[in-house]
Amino acid sequence: MSFLLKTKQRFAKLFGGLFKKKQMRIGIYGPPNAGKTTLSNRIVRDWTGDAVGPVSEIPHETRRARRKEGVKISDEKGNSITIDIVDTPGVTTKIDYKEFLEYGMQPDEAVVRAREATEGVAEAMHWLREDIDGVIYMLDSTQDPFVQVNIMLVGIIESRELPVIIVANKNDLPDASPARIKSAFPQHPVISISGLEGNNVDELYEKMIEYFG
Amino acid sequence: MPHKCAQCGREFKDGSTDILKGCPSCGGKKFLYIKRADLHRDVLEEKSIEEIAAETKQEIIEIPQKAPERTEIYDRIESIRVLSPGSYELNLEKLASGDDMIMQMGSDDKYIVDILSMAKKKKEGKSKKNR
Repeated sequence: MSFLLKTKQRFAKLFGGLFKKKQMRIGIYGPPNAGKTTLSNRIVRDWTGDAVGPVSEIPHETRRARRKEGVKISDEKGNSITIDIVDTPGVTTKIDYKEFLEYGMQPDEAVVRAREATEGVAEAMHWLREDIDGVIYMLDSTQDPFVQVNIMLVGIIESRELPVIIVANKNDLPDASPARIKSAFPQHPVISISGLEGNNVDELYEKMIEYFG
Repeated sequence: MPHKCAQCGREFKDGSTDILKGCPSCGGKKFLYIKRADLHRDVLEEKSIEEIAAETKQEIIEIPQKAPERTEIYDRIESIRVLSPGSYELNLEKLASGDDMIMQMGSDDKYIVDILSMAKKKKEGKSKKNR
């Protein structure tokens, strides 16, 4: 009898472990200066009152992936999801310290930043492979979306069969063109927001509940 | 019958395959098929290979040159290329496909292979299986 009980318990534990609902881990990806940390901060502030990290106009401010666990997002209809938000370093194929010098950074400081940013990209790609269940791909809608890094990274995300929401950020700026981003990625939902001003983020939250829930 | 390089006049034995890669002396890609008797005419009569070709009515053959294929960054083996301190080129597909790191230092074929990162990957795979 005790043997049966033990076996039953063991199986229950095993299957419980297998089917335990994991919290969705949503990675915010995109090129440098798209506004990933600004959006992460907004999501986390809106739903937990906390923040994720500092923002800067100098590219590669975020050089380590930052995570906020257990962020519960809900809509008016009472639907909700609890997710982990991962703010990742900007993904790019070229990092040159000279770029930072233009922002008045000292050369030695810029070289360190470039090295850390490189490590950051490697880390972001590692996360994408190991730990991410869904992606918010951020783009600056004042910039051309048809650049190789975007096409490639979205391709990599698609090849991993992860759900993607494309966010066309910075719609508060006069030369923003979310339509261009929509035409670049017709296969994914595109939400036009301003992470800074908070324009239209509610639509993004609804989409996140619908898409990642 | 032998060939002669149209650029520097170097002679090649009949059937030599050397000319397929271009002239080893000058890198020339054009060769004239020449009669053995005429082999030294260009030097003796101070004529250019083109003139000899016109006289012997032989065509100067040209080795087709392959356009140097540019290796796309994503086909390369390294995950990160360190161009100079503080300047990097990242191979995103490589980085996305695994944790193993191969770094290329500068534009020379100097590589650093991070063996530890490759070992780590295997170990992780194992522990996942055990779970």
